[in-house]
Amino acid sequence: MAIAVAVLAFFRARVDRTHVVLVLLLVILGASAAGGRTLGVLLSITAFFVFDWGFLPPFDTLVVRDPLDWLALVAFLVTSLVAAQLLYTARARRDAVERAQVLREAAVLKDALIATVSHDLRTPLTSIIGLAHELAHSGDEQALMIEEEAQRLNHLVTDLLDVARLSAGGFPLDIRPNALDDLLGVVVRQFAGRSDRHRLHASLDHPDDVVIGRFDMTQTVRIVTNLVENALKYSPVDAAVQLAGGRDGNSVVIRVEDSGPGLPPEEAERAFEPFTRMSSAPPDTGSVGLGLSIARGLATAEGGGIQYRHRPGGGSVFILSLPAEQS
Amino acid sequence: MPIRRVVRHALEPDFDRIVEATSARDGIDLVAAELPSLVVLDLGLPDAPGLDVCRELRAWSAVPILVLSARHADHEKVALLDAGADDYVTKPFSPAELRARVRAIMRRVVAGTAPSARIEFGPFLMDLSARTLSRGSEIVHLTPIEWELLRTLATNAGRTLTHTQIFNAVWSGRKYGDAQQYLRTHVANLRRKIENDLLDPQYIMTEPGIGYRFAGLR
Repeated sequence: MAIAVAVLAFFRARVDRTHVVLVLLLVILGASAAGGRTLGVLLSITAFFVFDWGFLPPFDTLVVRDPLDWLALVAFLVTSLVAAQLLYTARARRDAVERAQVLREAAVLKDALIATVSHDLRTPLTSIIGLAHELAHSGDEQALMIEEEAQRLNHLVTDLLDVARLSAGGFPLDIRPNALDDLLGVVVRQFAGRSDRHRLHASLDHPDDVVIGRFDMTQTVRIVTNLVENALKYSPVDAAVQLAGGRDGNSVVIRVEDSGPGLPPEEAERAFEPFTRMSSAPPDTGSVGLGLSIARGLATAEGGGIQYRHRPGGGSVFILSLPAEQS
Repeated sequence: MPIRRVVRHALEPDFDRIVEATSARDGIDLVAAELPSLVVLDLGLPDAPGLDVCRELRAWSAVPILVLSARHADHEKVALLDAGADDYVTKPFSPAELRARVRAIMRRVVAGTAPSARIEFGPFLMDLSARTLSRGSEIVHLTPIEWELLRTLATNAGRTLTHTQIFNAVWSGRKYGDAQQYLRTHVANLRRKIENDLLDPQYIMTEPGIGYRFAGLR
């Protein structure tokens, strides 16, 4: 800028003020492009004074004689500021697009990797579980631990695969009319072999009514099983967990209630984010905090949702709602 | 391959001879040559989809087929059952589970050879010729559709029937708006007449994403 001004000053007698303005604007644009918005703004203001001082008569003073020159000065300042700002915005947008592109490519790669890894892990896991089971059968206690850990790994692999597929939006769902009876019955059966099965109390709001919803049976069983498992895990050892379902307007509603500590308000929404574990979680729950985020992801993909409510008298209520079949 | 070893070990106590094939082609040839009493079919074959193997075997053989399938593939299981597979076990499975499924199939094969005019389950008695269901001395009133539904399930007791198989058996030749909803509603109504606890049924079991299975035969 200094060089430009020096050259212009040397030829001051011969150049028109339009030439001066154009040269100064070019310098400002160049500086904004290279040095960012702050430099652009600084140079705009400096150029404003230089233009006034050196190139508007009377020269070598900030006094402006002709009122029309004021118009030229202000127009110059506004033009240079706006140009600097526009240039900056354009650059910022291009950077954001490039960053998003990089992130998208990384996400696609991540999903593909998780999917492949998950599939390839499952077949050897079957062999490990089967062979460890054989050994455990012949009295090897460590083999029993291998089997249990391999089962845990299998669940983790499944969860990771689902998180990847849900975030990619390509989760295959088989949505069709299904009965609430069937859904809750299958969930109850999942817990039939467990020592804490007596804690699960399942009921229909109106047993005489047949409630039909539109959802994917297998995935919805997973959602409800996950909610019930959480409820059993986070409530006192002997406390009951209520599983109830019914129709509410255009929705099939399934409620899972426990009498645990409940979620503090600040954790209630965070609980649905992946890799979140509650502060109240026992240190060795054996989970990585994917369950609720998968549950909500699945429910949303089915056209429903999961809400959290405080249970009057302490505890949590998780409410799964799904579209009801119009009868 | 370890998965074949797992299957072999699980089944050795119950079978005199176990032969293995590593491809669909070899497997089909082996079934033709050996006329086995059971086929365990892993879907991860290198040369052909398991579904095709199932169909081909079913075209000329009534051998019971148990399928080993991967998770997350309900539609695959449904297609296999529709193609004539008798049952499926989901990976990863324990040898005990595999053995239990195999024994259930073999029991059914033996029982299936002698069709009966009466089916008993829990306190109920089905008289297939008189088309009545009774509980003690009391007749349980069923609609014609409910009767057909119960008959289809009970005569295939222990076997998972797909929604399509049940629908074709009960509503054969009739046209209805939404078959899926229809079937589930009638199962729900039938359960309300024979089950004590709707959410812990003893007779009509739901196989999620696949169909229904009748249990609890005396």
